[in-house]
Amino acid sequence: MTVTDLTSMASPQITLKRELDERLLRIKVEALEYCYQCGKCTSGCEAHRLLELEPHRVALLLSRGLFDELINSDIIWTCMSCFKCRERCPQMVAPVELLYALKNIAVAKGKQIPGRYTPMLQSIISTGLIQGEQQVLTRKQQTVKREDLGLPSLQKPRDISRFQSAIMQIATDKI
Amino acid sequence: MSKRYALYPGCLASTEQYAYELSVREVSSFFNIELVNLDDFSCCGEPIKSINQLLTLYLSARNISIAEKSNLDVYAPCAMCHLALSEAAFILDSDNDLRCRVNKVLSSEGLEYHYKHKSRILHTVDVLYDDIGLEKLKNSVRKPLTGLKVAAHYGCHLIRPSEIGRPDNPENPSKIESIIQVTGAEPVYYPERLDCCGAPLLPTRQESALTKTGEKLQALHEGAVDVLVDVCPWCHKMFDEQQVKAKETVAGGFNIPVLYLTQLVGLALGLKHDRLGLDLNQSPVEKVISKVK
Repeated sequence: MTVTDLTSMASPQITLKRELDERLLRIKVEALEYCYQCGKCTSGCEAHRLLELEPHRVALLLSRGLFDELINSDIIWTCMSCFKCRERCPQMVAPVELLYALKNIAVAKGKQIPGRYTPMLQSIISTGLIQGEQQVLTRKQQTVKREDLGLPSLQKPRDISRFQSAIMQIATDKI
Repeated sequence: MSKRYALYPGCLASTEQYAYELSVREVSSFFNIELVNLDDFSCCGEPIKSINQLLTLYLSARNISIAEKSNLDVYAPCAMCHLALSEAAFILDSDNDLRCRVNKVLSSEGLEYHYKHKSRILHTVDVLYDDIGLEKLKNSVRKPLTGLKVAAHYGCHLIRPSEIGRPDNPENPSKIESIIQVTGAEPVYYPERLDCCGAPLLPTRQESALTKTGEKLQALHEGAVDVLVDVCPWCHKMFDEQQVKAKETVAGGFNIPVLYLTQLVGLALGLKHDRLGLDLNQSPVEKVISKVK
């Protein structure tokens, strides 16, 4: 099983498209009915000064139904998930959650997964963890692993094929 | 009565940030807390939440179910894992349909997520501050860290979103400073205290991630700080392992020792340095160690 299986549309496209549209409409309603553009989210946004993410604008674009513009934009991938916007929004809109939804939808629509998410995902599928056991350097320049440090063996799923078929079921149950 | 927890070290602490797992185990053992290894655990799913949130929810629910099967509370020392597990519990307890869907798949692995499960999900801050308690910590200090100026980095995932229940206050947390204080050290407050470490940007914008890390370290450098402590392997990876790169990225002038809170507490308890993994920190921690009498 690969990342492509996870994110490709094994189920009929029509069902998927309907589910994606429904999810977009749900988050649109959230932005439209509650956000009054106070900008509190953007004023505290960790990614704002550095990467020009403006969560209140994301909510605005969403409420205007500009879905494709958002999904195809790199800006949705700049969120640092600091959750300050969710904490501070007086209307409990939580732009960070809108952004998670938009990123998920972008991936489900077949947009290429950016950056280094793919190797992590691939590793979770094949071993249950984001990466294998690494050799690390001590301050005396020795390389060590868990065993050298007296740590017990790595915890990971015992029955990996059962684990894989479970996450495959969840992944195709997409939205 | 001695306490028992299932240790859920999470991917990063168990595959590369060994100093955290070591110091967590050592400090726990000092206080007679038994940490049980449940070898069926998987990733919490939080690192891939941007790709598929349902998968994140499933992975977290799965881990909670495994702990509950053994009737154990979960000790998740990673702030990111702690958030993922807490959020999964929050969502699954409030959404019956979703819980049924997740449980249908969990059953294929012989597992079940129980509504309002009994397993508590604890972080290092909970264990030190609430379970062991300041009083007991204070009375156990054998090497007071007098005169050491310590800055705390809480990390976003530890304190937010408060809606799902987090170990400390989202806007004005204080538990880490209280713990620093009972070790005999002096907590330092600084304006950038609650700023992000940058780690969540690693998969997509590495340079920006390092800029974020560098800016926070630069701010500390300009204050009077002997050591920065953190409680999350992701934050620690940025401040400790990536410190040199972060310095280059922001053209900074810092060289700051960074310890896990459990390492700092371990030093004050007089625990063996190698058992605290102090040899694994990449930042100049010898500057701190030499001050511990």
